[in-house]
Amino acid sequence: MKALVYTILLLGLVPIQSVVLPHMIPWGVRPDLGLIVVCLVGLVAGEFEGLLVGLAVGWLMSLFSAESLSFGMITKGGIGYAAGLAGRQVVYLTPVVLVIGLFMISILAGLLTAFTLKLNDQQDLWWAIRAVVFPQACFDAVVGGAIYWVIWSRLNVERLSAAYRA
Amino acid sequence: MRMVNLRAPYNARRFALALAVILLVGFLLLPSQLQGVFQQVGSPVGWVVSWPLRAVASVSDGLADFWADFVALQGVEEENKQLRRELEYLKGQNSQLREAAAATDRLTALLEFKAQALPPMVAAQVIGRDTGNWYRTIILNKGESDGLQPDRGVITPAGVVGRIVKTTAATSVVLLVTDPNNAIAGLIQRTRDEGIVEGTSEALARLKYIPLLSNARPGDRVVTSGLTGGFPRGLAIGTISRIDKEEGALFQSAELTPEVDANRVEEVLVIQSPYVPTEGERLGPPSTKPKP
Repeated sequence: MKALVYTILLLGLVPIQSVVLPHMIPWGVRPDLGLIVVCLVGLVAGEFEGLLVGLAVGWLMSLFSAESLSFGMITKGGIGYAAGLAGRQVVYLTPVVLVIGLFMISILAGLLTAFTLKLNDQQDLWWAIRAVVFPQACFDAVVGGAIYWVIWSRLNVERLSAAYRA
Repeated sequence: MRMVNLRAPYNARRFALALAVILLVGFLLLPSQLQGVFQQVGSPVGWVVSWPLRAVASVSDGLADFWADFVALQGVEEENKQLRRELEYLKGQNSQLREAAAATDRLTALLEFKAQALPPMVAAQVIGRDTGNWYRTIILNKGESDGLQPDRGVITPAGVVGRIVKTTAATSVVLLVTDPNNAIAGLIQRTRDEGIVEGTSEALARLKYIPLLSNARPGDRVVTSGLTGGFPRGLAIGTISRIDKEEGALFQSAELTPEVDANRVEEVLVIQSPYVPTEGERLGPPSTKPKP
């Protein structure tokens, strides 16, 4: 069942990210739903699933972007793994902790991307932070917090997942 | 507050760490080979993902059409679309006519100008945008199974859109001409000065490496030079809006307003065969000696 949920999640991510979000947020920077999902999976399910889902999400999303496949896989896989490790240190996951954590992870991932990309003379690091990294981190934190609130508070998914584990 | 308690066993953690290390080392030691493998494996996966992608895109298009046709100003919208299509067609025709006229002026009356036939093209529909924030790309609903491959040029009747950088079985990713990572050989139509067109961070384009002695000015049109980049000569890229001359620089550059608004483009044409300029096109017309 978990595999089915992950498959649906993976198949749904690309259409939502590349078709729906550009219509909803037409002015450029959009939240990275892949990063948010990988963080949530890592936090809730641990570093193993975080890594696997991160690799799969990074690979799939890079197939539909000009981004390098290896970079997408390593970044998202690393984020899932790191989120799993961080989740082990957190006993109670509150929305505030999640929002701050997502913001920090998104900033770090964005800075890593900016350093790795060969930015040309028009796109220095300051431009990258101002135009992409910071706005995306804000979006990621807000959207991630909203998703957490909807899923955990409204749908009570934790009880369902506990039932799967039983 | 919710307690996080779903944890993987110790062996799984070790396996995850080992997998991460193997992949990391693999990508560092064999980057292109491993990337090629994942790209190959990704082709059929891309075909699978293309189905929900197309479904969502068609629903999105349907909603957009519904809004445009029934909620927004119906008659004006339709008329606007028609005029835009007409304008794009006329822009393309105008560009080709200007190019033909400039070439005819340049050649002597003894030389016969051969109108250049465009290579075969495939029509495709735009179904999505880049999944990240770092690149300006569009996703097309045609891929390897339709004969598309990386580095093929993508155009509309109005001008150049970009070039394909990635393909799966059923989709292609097109890097737009406004992306700073793109580079297309360009030519100022009036002065015949050549340069390289790159995108800018403001979603415009810039023609670089224009000779200092060039008298290019705002309003000049820039077209593809046909030398490299998979495009035939004479396709419109943009119009010069500003010339930048820096003191002590070896070249000047020009800011371009692209002919094609990538945010509005819905259908494109992909140049199917890689365009290779003929020997005559590369060398130019032979000089003729006057008869004694």
